[in-house]
Amino acid sequence: MAKIERTQKLFLKSLKEKFQGQDVQSETTEFYKFNGYHQSPRKEEFVKASRAVEMDRGISMYDPVRCHLGGIPLGQRQLMTYEVSGTGVFVEGDDLHFVNNAAMQQMWDDIRRTVIVNMDLAHQTLQKRLGKEVTPETINEYLHVLNHAMPGAAVVQEHMVETHPGLVDDCYVKVFTGDQELADDLEPQFVLDVEKLFPAKQAEALSAAVGKSLWQAIHIPTTVSRTCDGGTTSRWSAMQIGMSFIGAYRMCAGEAAVADLSYAAKHAGVIQMASHLPARRARGPNEPGGIGFGLFSDIIQANRKYPHDPAKASLEVVGAGTMLFDQIWLGSYMSGGVGFTQYATAAYTDNILDEFTYYGMDYIKDKYKVDWKNPSPTDKVKPTYDIVNDIATEVALNGMEQYEQYPTMMEDHFGGSQRAGVLAAACGLSTSIATGNSNAGLNAWYLCMLLHKDGWSRLGFFGYDLQDQCGSANSLSIRGDEGAIGEVRGPNYPNYAMNVGHQGEYAAITGGAHYGRGDAWCFDPRVKICFADPALKFDFAEPRREFAKGAIREFMPAGERSLIIPAR
Amino acid sequence: MNEVKENMAYKPQYGPGTSKVAENRRKQMNPNQKLEKMRDVTDEDIVLILGHRAPGAAYPTAHPPLAEQQEPDCPIRKIVTPTDGAKAGDRVRYIQFADSMFFAPCHPYQRTYTECYRFRGIDPGTLSGRQIVECRERDLEKYSKELVETELLDPARTGIRGATVHGHSLRLAENGMMFDMLQRSVLGEDGIVRYVKNQIGEPLDRAVAIGKPLDEKWLKAHTTIFHSLGGTAYRDDKEYIEYVQRIHTLRTKYGFLPKEA
Repeated sequence: MAKIERTQKLFLKSLKEKFQGQDVQSETTEFYKFNGYHQSPRKEEFVKASRAVEMDRGISMYDPVRCHLGGIPLGQRQLMTYEVSGTGVFVEGDDLHFVNNAAMQQMWDDIRRTVIVNMDLAHQTLQKRLGKEVTPETINEYLHVLNHAMPGAAVVQEHMVETHPGLVDDCYVKVFTGDQELADDLEPQFVLDVEKLFPAKQAEALSAAVGKSLWQAIHIPTTVSRTCDGGTTSRWSAMQIGMSFIGAYRMCAGEAAVADLSYAAKHAGVIQMASHLPARRARGPNEPGGIGFGLFSDIIQANRKYPHDPAKASLEVVGAGTMLFDQIWLGSYMSGGVGFTQYATAAYTDNILDEFTYYGMDYIKDKYKVDWKNPSPTDKVKPTYDIVNDIATEVALNGMEQYEQYPTMMEDHFGGSQRAGVLAAACGLSTSIATGNSNAGLNAWYLCMLLHKDGWSRLGFFGYDLQDQCGSANSLSIRGDEGAIGEVRGPNYPNYAMNVGHQGEYAAITGGAHYGRGDAWCFDPRVKICFADPALKFDFAEPRREFAKGAIREFMPAGERSLIIPAR
Repeated sequence: MNEVKENMAYKPQYGPGTSKVAENRRKQMNPNQKLEKMRDVTDEDIVLILGHRAPGAAYPTAHPPLAEQQEPDCPIRKIVTPTDGAKAGDRVRYIQFADSMFFAPCHPYQRTYTECYRFRGIDPGTLSGRQIVECRERDLEKYSKELVETELLDPARTGIRGATVHGHSLRLAENGMMFDMLQRSVLGEDGIVRYVKNQIGEPLDRAVAIGKPLDEKWLKAHTTIFHSLGGTAYRDDKEYIEYVQRIHTLRTKYGFLPKEA
């Protein structure tokens, strides 16, 4: 390890905005003079809103003066704003709780309501078993019928309830294939055109991987997956697929071949976004705990939009991943807590992790000659113990020193778990991008944790440290009885299943290995193509920007209900 | 209290490192080294800060004294001498500290290691912003006295806080005190720090003085945290860094049965 010079401090603008008029390197400040929660416009809004609710329902609600610490409200020190990293947008911390942020809700909605279903199996059934002709024209007709049926409309029934299109406008189906000739023959409104959506090199690799297969990218209505659950997605989708085949290909509704189509749509040809979880976690498919880290890195599209910046691509995965896995999955699904947001946002606010990661980029370029701005497998560093230790140590020490040199930054990340996650993420990303090996990145994460713990004699909270102090021992254990490579692991991997502040970063470390190599995808090319769709409500190429839009109330989500409720 | 016996097969090293920070850590952990007494705090004052019982009140019990109850025929119980609190059947209570990262003398893991080497019958818990140690109540009062009176505590940068502990990573107040939302301790005009609330934040009938804050020079000479801003930079203690790297590599290669090829 050898410290390198880096004059740019990406976090400085944030710190100066957050702590206006103060020396951001000072060790002292003033407390107890900020008038409690009144310093926060958002919390003032909460109080006002709560009074209105109380008047309406006659039951008490938000009362931070009476109910917080027996009369001492929040805000005895400065309540900070946060810049969503990479956006320049400053927001209130409250606005990054998923309850208060429509973009965050929509990101998860868009994943949960998605399945990818193969069409080749159905076409074989139609052609070989029933002797029907399948052509681009029949496929187009089928897709018309399917886009009528998928939101909840009748296809062959004579008297049937249907859903209001205005309530399910986010529901549709597109198709993709590696066969450009076929893609060109289909109606453009239905096609995810790989050649147009991806940089040429990525498009070539993706098309080759998908080959001549034809796949449906299906997004059921947000309202449906919210009212039911992720396990509904493939069922809802399969039901409408079956009915649409019957309608489009003039099949008998009761003939045995329909069972083949159903089996293909429900089981044999369906790609879920998440596998189902064991009974003790009790969730069906398409729920957050079952999303593999490699697959999640394919859902996030920043490497498509920024192919020459694997650091940014990875940081977008961190933001999206901490939001989904920490705030929604562990925070609410698993623990029921509200405070996970305060922890998780550290990884995607104020450009702190960004700065630490770009320091790592400068370091791997300076010392190992990795041309990270031109991702390629050819200049990756061999992931030896010495090299992994070297990169992780230098990035960890630099980050710790930045916290020490900028006491306001330490105050920004006031919890040890926040700092631990951010430091280790920077080490993991730097190492995975340098080596193109996700396991090396995970291993670097754990060295950082040990260094951090010994340097400051503290790490995270009780349970947080648990997985980090035994992580060295499983980060290169990929024998079948001990684990899997990072791409295949997920939030339910035994050593990862319990603690906030890890899973989103692990996903990014996994993604970073591939973004650093210039790979078109990490785990599944079909998922990469599916979420490149510009018609999705949430832009998966810019998750942090979307969260910022949600925070300042400029994000328009799906799930409209005003059509069916009284006007306000 | 513990001490390391001369005839032990294993001789504790109390951690690596060539720096002053490493040396301070070893000194705090080593029970054969006497901790420097910095202040006098009466037994009653300790009880007041802890807030578990009123001074002079009997110790509430979780079970009858061991001598009065039938003990099972257990070989472990024959080996381990119970502490006074265990003998009496005391309930388990706690003291919890918050240590400022601005050169407080002790820090969470260091506290835990130190307590494990020096005290018996304890259950420490280690977090980033606080460290708790739980044990039988009369043992706790004895241990707390040592934790409060010695060089392990600075009145300004060490907080005794049961809840709402927030402050370890924040900038200091302009008078040098670590932030405490509940302001359990206050710095008087006479330069003395006094606890006006117990560790859980309940107001005390009378303030408890714990002395003057230690000066910056003393703190930087005695602290057990690496800190590149005016203290000892972690990267300057190469032996320490190499030790951590080695542990990590051995664990990666061999799990928790480290051995070198």
